[in-house]
Amino acid sequence: MRDWNTKGRDRQARLDAGRHFAAGKIVAAHDLVAFLEAVLRPGDRVCLEGDNQKQADLLAKALAKADPAKIHDLHMVQSGVVLPEHLDIFETGIARRLDFSYSGPQSARIARMMFGGQIELGAVHTYLELFARYFIDLTPQVALIAAVSADKDGNLYTGPNTEDTPTVVEATSFGKGLVIAQVGEIVDRVPRVDIPADQVHFVVNAQRPFYVEPLFTRDPAAITETQILTAMLAIKGLYAPYGVRRLNHGIGFNTAAIELLLPTFGERLGLKGKVCTHWALNPHPTLIPAIESGWVEQIHCFGSEVGMEDYMRARPDIFFTGPDGSLRSNRAFCQTAGLYACDMFIGSTLQIDLAGNSSTVTGGRVAGFGGAPNMGSDARGRRHPSAPWLRAGEEADPDGTPALRRGRKLVVQIGETFGDGNAPMFVERLGALELADKLHLDLAPVMVYGDDVTHIVTEEGIANLLLCRDKDEREQAIRGVAGYTEVGRARDRKMVERLRERKVIQRPEDLGIDPLDADRGLLVAHSIKDLMIASGGLYRPPSRFRNW
Amino acid sequence: MTSPTAAAPHAPLPADPHRSWYEESARGRLSHLLDAGSFSEFLGPQRRELSPHLALFNLPRQFDDGIVVGAGALAGKPVLVAAQEGRFMGGAIGEVHGAKLTGLLHAARQMKRDVVILFDTGGVRLQEANAGELAISEIIRATVQARAAGVRVVGLLGGRAGCYGGGSLIAGCCSALVISEQGRLSVSGPEVIETNKGVEEFDSKDRALVWRTMGGKHRYLIGGVDLFVADTVAAFRAGALAALDRPPTLDQAVLAAEQARLERRLARFGDTADGTEVWARLGVNQPTDVPDMDLDDFLTIANRQREGADAAR
Repeated sequence: MRDWNTKGRDRQARLDAGRHFAAGKIVAAHDLVAFLEAVLRPGDRVCLEGDNQKQADLLAKALAKADPAKIHDLHMVQSGVVLPEHLDIFETGIARRLDFSYSGPQSARIARMMFGGQIELGAVHTYLELFARYFIDLTPQVALIAAVSADKDGNLYTGPNTEDTPTVVEATSFGKGLVIAQVGEIVDRVPRVDIPADQVHFVVNAQRPFYVEPLFTRDPAAITETQILTAMLAIKGLYAPYGVRRLNHGIGFNTAAIELLLPTFGERLGLKGKVCTHWALNPHPTLIPAIESGWVEQIHCFGSEVGMEDYMRARPDIFFTGPDGSLRSNRAFCQTAGLYACDMFIGSTLQIDLAGNSSTVTGGRVAGFGGAPNMGSDARGRRHPSAPWLRAGEEADPDGTPALRRGRKLVVQIGETFGDGNAPMFVERLGALELADKLHLDLAPVMVYGDDVTHIVTEEGIANLLLCRDKDEREQAIRGVAGYTEVGRARDRKMVERLRERKVIQRPEDLGIDPLDADRGLLVAHSIKDLMIASGGLYRPPSRFRNW
Repeated sequence: MTSPTAAAPHAPLPADPHRSWYEESARGRLSHLLDAGSFSEFLGPQRRELSPHLALFNLPRQFDDGIVVGAGALAGKPVLVAAQEGRFMGGAIGEVHGAKLTGLLHAARQMKRDVVILFDTGGVRLQEANAGELAISEIIRATVQARAAGVRVVGLLGGRAGCYGGGSLIAGCCSALVISEQGRLSVSGPEVIETNKGVEEFDSKDRALVWRTMGGKHRYLIGGVDLFVADTVAAFRAGALAALDRPPTLDQAVLAAEQARLERRLARFGDTADGTEVWARLGVNQPTDVPDMDLDDFLTIANRQREGADAAR
């Protein structure tokens, strides 16, 4: 007769092996390496928790110290490849195969290791896509996760940076895998139960908080006047006419400028209450002035942001907070919200090609995707109407039967024609294609596909790709806002002029914006300190952002 | 970019006194500092006195080589002024840049006219190393000569690039220094210290640490500067006027007092590792609160506890 519980028995064996090192569920930190060697098996699928923000750093370090003779050929399935140890384990042979989503800080090293064959790549995913696979074909046998605190039973408090943890635990624990948590402290009673004890098998006390990267803090002092101009164009040329109330912002300085222009430029345009009221967004410090001046009704967060904890606790109407008062973030739910319940995604990119495909891959770096491709794509399963969605759908297909016509999510790429180091944002051929050739990938790592992009905003104006009727028009609309880049200079001037007459391209002057008005004086805050003051002292910026 | 308000031609006072000094360009700062319409530039950009070195490195040049020098009036009193542009190569001092400042200081000595220097510099321009180092020496000599002739040389420290390297040596020779919280004054910059001594010694990315060791509040508390002002164009104007009211004396007694002051500082604080420890020894009750204090609270405490440098200037 078939054994229907091999997975459960497998977990029981690991539990038995781990108990030698544990008092109840608590494993001593100095036994951690030996403990991991006892509960892991060669070839295991392992989720080492970490994304673009929080990191199970103690567990990562311990895993890297394991004996490759005992633990080898692991298949890592994790959101972020961020810490050096995440790659060290591939160098020593502890791990062999990798499915992941984001690798920002390790983008150069991970590319070298892929070229060198040290990493066997499964695929690069979006966050939501990887989470989905945790429940289908990439269910972890062991999850190494991070929490703020635990009680003696193993109930976990994950705090403002809850992020991926519930998803990872759900898939692992109910999929008969083993869940091991590092916590900052063991307490008698956790402030709130984010993860129930019966889903957690072992806990190790790191006696310090897990590492969190303040990834979403943009210093207003670094915002340029060109970025302010692009922000003015976006507000007046997109937010206002479409009436975008539900949206997600990317991480760049252009969108930070938009956040800082809402209470000044946006207020002057009479947009308060009409746009930017509901957000899927990390707690961007640059949104504080808009929140304080009453623009924002509600924000759901993927993760937290270092220094924003007290501020969010003091604004429970705006943020999702628990009975303990602190933020509860959840990356999987927020990604879903960004996909299905937002009418606009707007973000910066590094390269856009003539079809509107965009990528952040340049010069042999594999930065992964994170969440942007999910936010920056049309949700084909969406069925509820909204004014911006219907209007975008109509622009794309004016002759279609209204009741049968899909709406469209507004997917906006915003940036300067020349970016960092004067690298042109517009290119004939994406760097991602060279990478795909070099690594023999079936798919080039494209952040946002051209057929999902609806608008491109640069200091030269806005290109509305929904209004383009064929490939040539799209190409010329893109060239038309590409300025003095090679791509821009190769435009067909007559065709671009015709597109401008049809408002496919809108220049600053077409929108009644004088580029000379794009002054830093328009920013409602000029520094991190201004943001702290705007928060009434509740925002506590990390040391590295303080210039006082 | 100069703001529209800065260009208002006949306004008696700066039109927007709350504008940030830190954020302004060199020209913007001058237009807010001086009496409206009083400024006339020497060797302006139309003369195109370009750096002879930068082109060798394929680097862009600027028509004024990153410094604006000229004559103007402050509350009716004629002064000579120099403003460094921190946004061009970090305000670094090259051959032409240095020669413009040296010439201005020579003129100041001959005309017996006070000078105000708007510092915003990372120090010597590395691409012009020898010429830049020579320029620093010439500027220091010209500063001391001007001061010996009874001229005041006032330094304003509140620019984005701070005041580092050779720029800080020049500042050290001034008759009075005015600083804002954003201002930084130090010989070695944060990255230089980290590169040479390691991140354990100094983490240049820890900006709060940078400000605790080199920033305006710290420099004011240990008597490295004379006046502490808000980061606004109006406050710097008021600070410059107050600094110009101070005595210009530079004699043996002043130098002896300066030497004694520095020896005392070394003895008192030489073994400390952080600004907060220095402030604690100065008698500040809650030293960790200092960075977050607003201007009034800070001045109340600082003026009671700080090391003065008055006799040493």
